[in-house]
Amino acid sequence: MKITTKRFANLDVDEDRIILMQRGILGFECYKRFVLLTPPDSGSLIWLQAVDDPALAFVVANPYVINGDYKPFIMDHELKSLEIERGEDIVLLSIVTVHTRPFQLTANLRAPLLLNAANRKANQIVLEESAYPIQYKVFDDDAKTTGDVSLPEAGMEQLDKISVAMMVV
Amino acid sequence: MLILTRKLGESILIGDDIKITILGIKGKQIRIGVEAATGMTVHREEIYRLIQEQNKQAVKSVEAAGENLSTIWNKLRRQSLP
Repeated sequence: MKITTKRFANLDVDEDRIILMQRGILGFECYKRFVLLTPPDSGSLIWLQAVDDPALAFVVANPYVINGDYKPFIMDHELKSLEIERGEDIVLLSIVTVHTRPFQLTANLRAPLLLNAANRKANQIVLEESAYPIQYKVFDDDAKTTGDVSLPEAGMEQLDKISVAMMVV
Repeated sequence: MLILTRKLGESILIGDDIKITILGIKGKQIRIGVEAATGMTVHREEIYRLIQEQNKQAVKSVEAAGENLSTIWNKLRRQSLP
């Protein structure tokens, strides 16, 4: 299907790459359909573009790349809500914020996006009773991200199945 | 706002799917149990608001930073290096 976007002009996207956010994203609840766009050479940053609003897009990142110890406790009812039956189908993404002065990226590890790679349903879940911060620094002081993208939990293969690689930035 | 007074152990029903029960009172803190239909989320208000605000800030921040993710990522990595 054709999607109009402000940043990437018009895109032609397979229906089977459309992510369905059941409850939308907090603060943006009326937008339910999104597509994940991976531009070349963007490190670990991915666009989450709203299908129904050309101007609305979030930058997201795989939290396991950012924090190798990320072990969020996901409640059963959240898994049921998205019909998640296998652990391998779980993909987690964190919404990224850009800060200036000083220039830094932070990721929201407290409220990740939980996706089911098998049916592309997703929700933003809020981890209750959690020490994970809403603004977790993506780069530590040594200019490294602390995560390990080769971990099985990172879900990189699943992420590939549900995102669209962009040839042009 | 509908105002009700409950004693320990008593409940409030909202619609058919939500039940709120007072489980304990200790000093200034009240333990509240919430039973809600699957699919409904239950959150402490201040956390919910913080997440909403952060989401909105995230969207604005990306627009303000210019939108080339490659540029942003590489600039940050270069900047952080000694």
